[in-house]
Amino acid sequence: MPTITVDGVQYEVEEGRTILQALDDLGLLMNGVDVPHYCWHPKLSIDGSCRLCQVEVEGMPKLQIACDTRVSDGMVIHTTTDRVKSAREGVMELLLVNHPLDCPICDQAGECKLQDYAYEYGALQARTVEPRRALKKKVDLGPTIVFDQERCILCRRCTRFCSEIPATGELGIFARGDHSVIETFPGMELDNPYSMNVADICPVGALTTKDFRFKIRVWFLEDVPGICTGCSNGCNIFLGVANNKVQRYVPRRNDSVNDTWICDAGRMSYQEIDSPSRVKASLVRGEDGVLEARPYAAAVEAAAARLRRLVESKGPGVIAGVASAHLTNEDLAVLKRFLEALPTESAGLPVPRGEADALLVKEEKAANAAGARALGFEDAAPLVERIRGGGVDGIVMLGHDLLDPAYLGGIEALQKLDTVIWIDTHQSDLRHVAHVVLPGRHAAEKRGTLTNHAGRVQHLQPAVEPTFEAHAEGETLERIGRALGLTGFGGDPAAGSPTASSRK
Amino acid sequence: MGLKVPYVTSYLTEHCAEDDYVSLAGYEAKGGYRAAKKALGMAPQEVINLVKESGLQGRGGAGFSTGMKWSFMPQDSDRPKYLVCNADESEPGSFKDRLLLERTPHKMLEGILIAAWATGAEKTFIYVRGEYAFPADVVQRAIDEAYEKGILGPRCMGKSFAHDVVLMRGAGAYICGEETGLLESLEGKKGQPRKKPPFPAQYGAFGMPSTVNNVETFCHVPHIVDQGADWFRGFGTEKSPGTTLFGVSGHVVRPGLYELPLGTPLDEIIFEHAGGIPGGRKVKGVIPGGMSMPVLPAGQLDVPMANEYLRERQSMLGTGGIMVMDETTCMVRASCIITYFFRDESCGQCTQCREGTGWLNKIVNRLERGAGSEKDIDILVDVAGKMEGQTICAFADAAAWPVQGMIRHFRGDFEEHVRQQKCPFSGSFEL
Repeated sequence: MPTITVDGVQYEVEEGRTILQALDDLGLLMNGVDVPHYCWHPKLSIDGSCRLCQVEVEGMPKLQIACDTRVSDGMVIHTTTDRVKSAREGVMELLLVNHPLDCPICDQAGECKLQDYAYEYGALQARTVEPRRALKKKVDLGPTIVFDQERCILCRRCTRFCSEIPATGELGIFARGDHSVIETFPGMELDNPYSMNVADICPVGALTTKDFRFKIRVWFLEDVPGICTGCSNGCNIFLGVANNKVQRYVPRRNDSVNDTWICDAGRMSYQEIDSPSRVKASLVRGEDGVLEARPYAAAVEAAAARLRRLVESKGPGVIAGVASAHLTNEDLAVLKRFLEALPTESAGLPVPRGEADALLVKEEKAANAAGARALGFEDAAPLVERIRGGGVDGIVMLGHDLLDPAYLGGIEALQKLDTVIWIDTHQSDLRHVAHVVLPGRHAAEKRGTLTNHAGRVQHLQPAVEPTFEAHAEGETLERIGRALGLTGFGGDPAAGSPTASSRK
Repeated sequence: MGLKVPYVTSYLTEHCAEDDYVSLAGYEAKGGYRAAKKALGMAPQEVINLVKESGLQGRGGAGFSTGMKWSFMPQDSDRPKYLVCNADESEPGSFKDRLLLERTPHKMLEGILIAAWATGAEKTFIYVRGEYAFPADVVQRAIDEAYEKGILGPRCMGKSFAHDVVLMRGAGAYICGEETGLLESLEGKKGQPRKKPPFPAQYGAFGMPSTVNNVETFCHVPHIVDQGADWFRGFGTEKSPGTTLFGVSGHVVRPGLYELPLGTPLDEIIFEHAGGIPGGRKVKGVIPGGMSMPVLPAGQLDVPMANEYLRERQSMLGTGGIMVMDETTCMVRASCIITYFFRDESCGQCTQCREGTGWLNKIVNRLERGAGSEKDIDILVDVAGKMEGQTICAFADAAAWPVQGMIRHFRGDFEEHVRQQKCPFSGSFEL
């Protein structure tokens, strides 16, 4: 392995890498060694056009661009010399010659690389008196993205992204020189399952998502690391939180899972957190057959009472548990323990399925199907047969995936059941058959782990607190188990549970 | 149809005034393809060595050793190797290749065939600038003739050596004359120069090892093979042997092409060959090698026209396009035209070039309008300095150097615009 010296410190680096790649491999980039760059992106081809990453390499008379200069053994690199600084200042000044400097109304302000580097390498006073280029401020590129041509610094990350990652190639650079602009090719719009990533990789405020545009200033956001729950890939994300509300998802780099991308569907799934369809109240069906709001504790008691009556009349074997592939391993472990303590062997795991692609999107549309299987939950198809055949009288239902066409396909088969205890985050037809409804917590609202399709166990932490009383599903099961007097369910449900939900 | 230019000829243009020289028969009648026959009987390495010994420098502007360039082509490669003939003559002030394309296409093809043999290339792409419609037709006819007579094709001149020549036409971008911009355009992509390395000899046209040479460069080759390196070195200077075609334009009595040995003094070209300045006016400045080369003031016209001497005067030979400006010329106006050209033609990849060319043009325009300040002149120098030597290709240099040259030698013109708040050269050309 070649050894290089960067600003006086020696590093062993991989053969064949460029200076920027080597620094990135070492985790040093922007984290000890500051080599500013615009066009270079770790997951895109090397462009070498912004010319900002120039560094001094001993033995080379001209400054070299770090993004495209291959390391060699004994290479001595300087990133902080006056020559380097002066080159950066030169590039920054030129990039700002035509930039509109409309930061006060720009969404990128606060997370803008043009702002950051201008702050570091920009002149205090502009030397330009000429009018800046006037271009289109609001180009509708497609269903998800709006483009401000004036802010664009033509780093060409977006065009390379479209050609190289989804390989849809919607974007191109038209015309030449300082009149060149990025546009969609004639007859095309920027419309692919990953389109919104262009807003993340745009170093300036030129590409913004219609979803997040003008929503909130980014400096009010707290970036909480989390996992996207849209499918079993488990893409790493930051949840942008303000006012106890998730305002957006953006990808969090993990080269083993999602590189620096997430799909648009996953990105937009943050809307499920603060959705009007959340199950917000604990409900118990009264004698008159109508669901009534009850305090959470009373609903837990009501659930326990119904289950106790069933155990006493027909035995625990008629009770089935339905696991949810959306839950954490910790929630599912409590369910497993609950079913074993009843005891009943009747259980199943419905997994919602959909389209997959070659990039990130997986067929299983739940974040923890692999974790649920690892805990011993098997596919719900046999359980569906048992329900249809009348072998089940009571059910503890987590989530509503059993209603999927691949399983029950509706609530009909559940209508004749004696007891349906339903714990879920979102509304479904189950409210027509449930006897007790208990709110659950979204992955953004609890602590725990999820196991992705490849068996990678990833942590969740609460990013927001529900505005209604809801407890992690495992915690609710602990409470029902304690009310039932099940073995092993004696303790404080919140204290011992890894799903305890308070944020701080 | 007859030919009026050039006024001075040497080996390259000797028969260019004769109409039948364009045809294969006419060319062969004057000894055409004799050199190719000879070369195909030599070992390829011998041919490369001969061209190296001759000291032939590329005539496209950079002046790099041709033999050296050929030797960069990989010897034992199982990938196809290509030659590219750069006929995208687009440097303002240059019109030498056009004459060669129109009047002696077979000389170029002969040079190509020799180069192909020397480098082991199986195909040549001739990239002709889009505006050269007539020259492209002439070359295509010559290619067709050469195929008919078996000079090109599966068995070139009866040898077991196959070579194909394909003509491609550009679409009018200056940057497609830059060799890697040309390769991109040749491949059907937007003409944007490539990062180097890899150089074309490793990764050229369609990713294959390639050598790109200028039209005139190819045309010298048959003469070198035919008459030897020493003969060739009998022309020009020690470091810059051979003749070249100087294209003289602007304020001269006889604008045109002059084939003269490299090292011919600039004033001799202007005053003896091109007839001096009309109306008895005085020279103000001369751009010696196409628009991207820094201007020389009247006091420096004694310079021998070869790179080793021009570099001492902070300029270069470029493509040999000599643009003469007399004393009525406003150098700020001239700078407006120069900077506009580069602003319009920058491919737009690199920050310094994309933004710098536009900024230079805007400042120069403002100075010309009389709305500039002393500080603007310094900014011009500073911005040009920041563009230089920092980009993917040499275009930014080509855009920066003329501005630097103008201010180096004619700062007075710029200052006078600032002082008078208007252009003091009412008699200069219209913008």
